[in-house]
Amino acid sequence: MPINVGLAHLSNGLLLTAVVIYAVAMLAFACDFAFGKKRAPAVARARVRELVSAKAAAGAADSAVVGGPVVEAEDGLADEPLADGPGADGSGPRGAEDGAAEAVRRAGRGPVGFWVTTAVALTCVGLALHSAGVLTRGLAVHRLPWGDMYEFVTALTCVAVAFFLGAMVRYRAYYMGLFVMASVVLVLGLAETVIYTPAGELPPALQSYWLAIHVTAMTLATGIFFVAAVTGVTYLVVDRHARRVAAGRPAGADGILRRLPGPAELDRLAYRTIVFGFPVWTFGVMAGAIWADYAWGSYWSWDPTETWAFITWVVYACFLHARATAGWRGRRAAVIQLTAFVCLLFNVLVVSLIIPGQHSYAGLH
Amino acid sequence: MTGLRIPPEAGAERVRAGGEWTAELADAADPQAQASARPARRFGVAGWLRWGWRQLTSMRTALILLFLLAVGSVPGSLLPQEGSNPEAVAQYYAAHPGLAPILARFSLFNVFGAPWFAAIYLLLFLSLVGCVLPRTVRMVGSARQPPPRAPRHLVRLPLSVSYRTAQPPEQALASAARLLSGKRFRVRAEADWVAAEKGYLREAGNLLFHIALLAVLVSIGLGGLYGYKANRLLVAGTSFSNTVTALDVFRPGRLVTPGDLQPFSLTLDSFSASYVMSGTLMGQPSAFNAALTYTSAPGGPSRRYVLTVNHPLVVDGVRVFLLGHGYAPEFRVTDGTGHVVLNGPVPFIPVETSGFTSEGAIKVPDASPQQLGFAGVFLPTTVDVGGRLASAFPAPLKPSVSLVSYAGNLGMNGGTSQSVYTLDTAGLHQLAVAPRPLTAGQSIQLPGHLGTLTYLGYRQWISLAITYDPGQFPALVSGIAVLGGLLLSFMVRRRRVFVRAGPGPAGETIIEVGGLSRSDASGGFEDEFSGLATEIRGVIGPPASPAPAPRGRPEEHRGDHEPPEGE
Amino acid sequence: MLRLPTSVRLVSRRAVGAATGTGAAPRLATLVPLARRSAAAAAVAAVVVLGAAACGGGATAQQTAEGNGSSFVSGTYGTTVFRPGGRPVAPQVTGTTLTGTRFLLSADRGAVVVLNFWGSWCSPCREEAPALGALARHFSGADVRFVGVDIRDDTASAEAFMRTFRIGYPSLSDPADAIALDFSGTVPPAGIPTTLVIDRSGRIAARIVGTASYDGLEALIASVERA
Repeated sequence: MPINVGLAHLSNGLLLTAVVIYAVAMLAFACDFAFGKKRAPAVARARVRELVSAKAAAGAADSAVVGGPVVEAEDGLADEPLADGPGADGSGPRGAEDGAAEAVRRAGRGPVGFWVTTAVALTCVGLALHSAGVLTRGLAVHRLPWGDMYEFVTALTCVAVAFFLGAMVRYRAYYMGLFVMASVVLVLGLAETVIYTPAGELPPALQSYWLAIHVTAMTLATGIFFVAAVTGVTYLVVDRHARRVAAGRPAGADGILRRLPGPAELDRLAYRTIVFGFPVWTFGVMAGAIWADYAWGSYWSWDPTETWAFITWVVYACFLHARATAGWRGRRAAVIQLTAFVCLLFNVLVVSLIIPGQHSYAGLH
Repeated sequence: MTGLRIPPEAGAERVRAGGEWTAELADAADPQAQASARPARRFGVAGWLRWGWRQLTSMRTALILLFLLAVGSVPGSLLPQEGSNPEAVAQYYAAHPGLAPILARFSLFNVFGAPWFAAIYLLLFLSLVGCVLPRTVRMVGSARQPPPRAPRHLVRLPLSVSYRTAQPPEQALASAARLLSGKRFRVRAEADWVAAEKGYLREAGNLLFHIALLAVLVSIGLGGLYGYKANRLLVAGTSFSNTVTALDVFRPGRLVTPGDLQPFSLTLDSFSASYVMSGTLMGQPSAFNAALTYTSAPGGPSRRYVLTVNHPLVVDGVRVFLLGHGYAPEFRVTDGTGHVVLNGPVPFIPVETSGFTSEGAIKVPDASPQQLGFAGVFLPTTVDVGGRLASAFPAPLKPSVSLVSYAGNLGMNGGTSQSVYTLDTAGLHQLAVAPRPLTAGQSIQLPGHLGTLTYLGYRQWISLAITYDPGQFPALVSGIAVLGGLLLSFMVRRRRVFVRAGPGPAGETIIEVGGLSRSDASGGFEDEFSGLATEIRGVIGPPASPAPAPRGRPEEHRGDHEPPEGE
Repeated sequence: MLRLPTSVRLVSRRAVGAATGTGAAPRLATLVPLARRSAAAAAVAAVVVLGAAACGGGATAQQTAEGNGSSFVSGTYGTTVFRPGGRPVAPQVTGTTLTGTRFLLSADRGAVVVLNFWGSWCSPCREEAPALGALARHFSGADVRFVGVDIRDDTASAEAFMRTFRIGYPSLSDPADAIALDFSGTVPPAGIPTTLVIDRSGRIAARIVGTASYDGLEALIASVERA
């Protein structure tokens, strides 16, 4: 089937617009740091909130069951668990769940200011355009749109932004917005300019449904690890700042860093992200092995890209072991995690483009 | 790999502050460690072995070995490897004559078969086995173990809530116990409290993951012992059988003998390749089809199959893959005495993909009076680019052959093997023949009555990869188990819920519910706990009278014991 | 892009050595803190591993060099002789000679048959061809038949080879390797050239993988003639 050139052009247009909107969202996140409501007390409360949030949620749920005043989880400290109020005794479990959700929602509304709301809205719009761009590229070439390097990068950044949005909502990690969006804008910008490849057919070796499975999984995992790496870098910066402050030495860049949560929360966010991404990467490597078995007769032939995917897997496994070993958590674990991401980048950028092997499908000549 | 540990390691991991010496002080409480803390006079072989074993199975060693495994794989990806690309290794030797032998001494051209690489992963798996086996035994042993006692002060747990109810304590506890056991918690009910635990599958998943990794290694080993890989180039219209003499490259496993090869035969009836004819990707191949006829045993029924990339032929457990293709121009050579000394296709090897320019050599060692040799190129779509010949498109739209002629000694009688695709011109002298490309039917007349070469036309050839790997299916099953164990160990949380009931003021019962999650990797226990607490509240019933007004902020309740993450 | 074949050589097996070892027992005071002990263990392990590398690397390189030089599955090169009691029965071999005559191995029952797998493109075959031709003439009076099996050759090249080396005995053309396949259940030809010596009752008495020498093959045929 011939390539649909019109859709291909539309895809390019959508992706370029998405980059611009992401850039504006990035600026909005930056403005939040500069001008947003002072969240220092909220940050302190957030730290305490980590510790008692569930307790408060249980308490809030409890008081919701008995129809007591619904207090913001922010003020969970003021929440008297034994506070019973009149009425609503018969609301039962369903009312309790609604009450709990209501309490969490109200709590979430508190510290989120105008700039963050704008930035998140812009990111959502950008993601919609980005996804549409990836989708139209797929429609233009009548196959899944991750067959060459350009398509792979656009897809993985889409996954990264989607995952970041999800993590923001789940773990309230708005502070990551500036760093994640900055990285995405940079990478996507590079994709559009330097490594752009026009829409085209795939060579016969890639015409297999295992392409869909293997490259999809790798794209997903790379996007997720991308977010974890950005978090890791932020962690190291914040951790260094915290140490300097604790040691009484002068520390620069106070403005942004004081607004970010402590190292512990960043560390936990990075850990949870990698816990999400590691099984996906494992599955992707296995799917790649199955595909290699169909295509070349051997499920593992130590092809350079295979080897580096294995190295990346081992270093992420190192990270997971390190987090379970005393003396290796915190900074050392973050460094391991970033080393693993560097291996991943090396695999994607250097190995597939420069070192000859079976995986030279970048589309660049 | 933490948690339940032999004392010194546990001491080291529990004490975080104060540096490493504190770990030693913690050991002082342990008589066993105390014995080893005395100066080494009677430490003996057994003691050193035990020390070695403990070091080997510790987390730190696992970390170091994992890291070494990753680092050790790096040269295997950057340097050419003998197993997959022996020509590149030879080129490396030529380009770096001083460095290459040093690298070879450390097996850097065969990293993944090197003894040191094997040492790393074998040590790693030894460490793994030493850790996993005791834990498996322990897990099986604790399969029937009831949950632990409820702590006295549930408010000290990370998650806790309390409320009042009108029901008497025994009844309330019984309802709570029923509810929890309905949710598939393992429940232990005593007079004053109920303890419930869930999530044992996490440890099972963790162990399954690590054992399955071992199984993957064993499967790979199985393939390495009993499997084989081979390559064969097959010209259209010819056949071959799966014997050692018929294979171009044969890489058997260690325990494979030539008699173990499955006795199938196959014939390449025809091959067709289609290319993109226009657009930006013009010249890229779009489909390959090889029409085969095969039998799985001599004298058996013959079947047909169309071989394409990604769709191998499976015959008798062996898989035959289509790897590549090329052109084999046909020649007829007549020597000086008038005999026809060569008459058939000679495969040429493509050297570039955009036009499929192919190079090859024609060796005629039995020509008289002199041996003859020809080397040159086959151009599928011949074009003249500024005086030089090139091929513009990979399909045979305008094929021609351009050859240089030689005569003399080909060097084949001495017994040392040569590549059939390259000519060793050391013993040959070039013949003075006017160079021109030949189209089908044209000939070269060699000077000095040495003979004639006629280019007859071309055929296509395919290259096949023949692989047999008995460990392939076990590796797949083990891989699935790896993934399953990983998901289980990440998604299942080991958690405990406690309920205490005691008499409160005004004849009411005070119910305390506390919850604790070990290694809550993905979060979510808070939601589960709040849901449980609410349900218990619902099941137990409301208090008789409303509560007094709030007394002010309660203290921050935070457990002393912070569950270690990533168990 | 697709992988391409490179040469028509058989590659011998790679040696996969495995060195295992736990940490050797160093002389350390036991009051050394834990970190230093771990580091020491790691250092010892590294030394053991590097030592294994230095020793093992040489052996691997050597075996590969052998493999690149020859065309045989390592471990099968050379002469294998079967005692009279333990000789496997040769399969029923049928074929067509280069001149078009039908051939049947069992028709030569009662004579010693020397079956030689060769190709005109194969250098070791060219090296042993004079010896084979001479041996055929040497045994021409006795009840010894020489038969060749020509692998991966066109008829013209094969006939030219026989003219060059003055080979008087017939050769079967086997472009589909069917004859080699027949032997895969008993004593398969493990490379080219391979020479099989079949005794008078149709049992395989010996196999030579690799270049056959005049003296060696002559002694072998003589002993099979007698027994």
